[in-house]
Amino acid sequence: MHHRHLLPDEIDQLLDDASGVDVVPLRAHLEACPDCAQKLADARLVCESIEQLQHFAPSPRFTASVMAQVQVVEPWHVALTNTAHRLVPASRRVRAVMFASGSLLAIGLSAGVVWLLTRPDMALYAAGLAAGRARRVLLDATGTVITDAFGQPALDALHSGSVSRVALGGALVLTAVGLATVSLRAAATSARRARE
Amino acid sequence: MPAFLDLTNAPDADVVTLAQQGREDAFRELVRRYERPVFTLIFRMVRDTATAEDLSQDAFIKVLNNIDKYRPEFKFSSWLFKIANNIAIDFLRRRQLNTISIDGSPHAATAAEAEASAFDIDAGGENALDAMAAKELGSAIERAIGALRPEYRACIMLRHVEGRSYEEIAATLDLPLGTVKTYIHRARSQLREALEHLRE
Repeated sequence: MHHRHLLPDEIDQLLDDASGVDVVPLRAHLEACPDCAQKLADARLVCESIEQLQHFAPSPRFTASVMAQVQVVEPWHVALTNTAHRLVPASRRVRAVMFASGSLLAIGLSAGVVWLLTRPDMALYAAGLAAGRARRVLLDATGTVITDAFGQPALDALHSGSVSRVALGGALVLTAVGLATVSLRAAATSARRARE
Repeated sequence: MPAFLDLTNAPDADVVTLAQQGREDAFRELVRRYERPVFTLIFRMVRDTATAEDLSQDAFIKVLNNIDKYRPEFKFSSWLFKIANNIAIDFLRRRQLNTISIDGSPHAATAAEAEASAFDIDAGGENALDAMAAKELGSAIERAIGALRPEYRACIMLRHVEGRSYEEIAATLDLPLGTVKTYIHRARSQLREALEHLRE
């Protein structure tokens, strides 16, 4: 039993419904002391009044105004996962066929890679053949374009000329293309202004 | 996270995860859940409807645009209230607007604007006398809360309107636990003194 009135901190403890051995004597004191009981009742009334205060609502356009200024960004890994999910067929049978085809392809590719790794000489030979063929195709295509655009003499000059000559020729061609573009653009602009 | 999750009943943590994955409906759900508490907290701090709405918008925009920085070890609502409170306190510091009348915004240019921004106390009593008493107490409480220091006001609102624990308030407002207890104790004392005349 307390022989003094409750301190403000102790009234706060009771207000917050604290539990434990500390508050047992405080509660016992309340039963014997009308002054402290009244103080606690007054404090409780204030708290209850605050708890009963109404919530206010913002205007109905609040969410729209917020959302207009929020950047909803889908992270790349989520976008990737979602795309992958969309690519997976809904039907279980189609998924099984896709899985079987993918597995066969993976097995075939793995076997090919393993074979190439065990035969590096064959791999180098095949790579050399493919590179030579690709170079020939590229040169033929470039020669055809140059012959069509500038004639056979240009191609001959290209074959016989030095690097600096070729660079000069290229620069002249690029300049001519640039000038032609600017001229065409200027002509189009003046024609549009004339129409307006 | 299942795409068909019912957002209305999902816990905050799940809704936040969906928002972090770029789901716009999750952003909207977070705004829907907290627009009233955040607006109420800020409104009771700044006591002006238009300002409270602007500041609440700022709080949500700041939180939602940084949703990827949210740390799940804290409650989402604590993070949101922390930013809302900081925004309100910054505003009050700028404007030095610590107390205003319950009868309306100090920025109201006309009587109609003042009336529109005034508190509408919902009485809810059983008869006219109860209603009048409740209205008088409600008005007095609102006035007394308006006269508190902003720091006390934030603590007492989070404690008694939002039902937060002392620890949550300390985490939300970045204050030591002892300071929160002191602020709430002082706020209660001041409110009790301010309402003393109603008991006489």
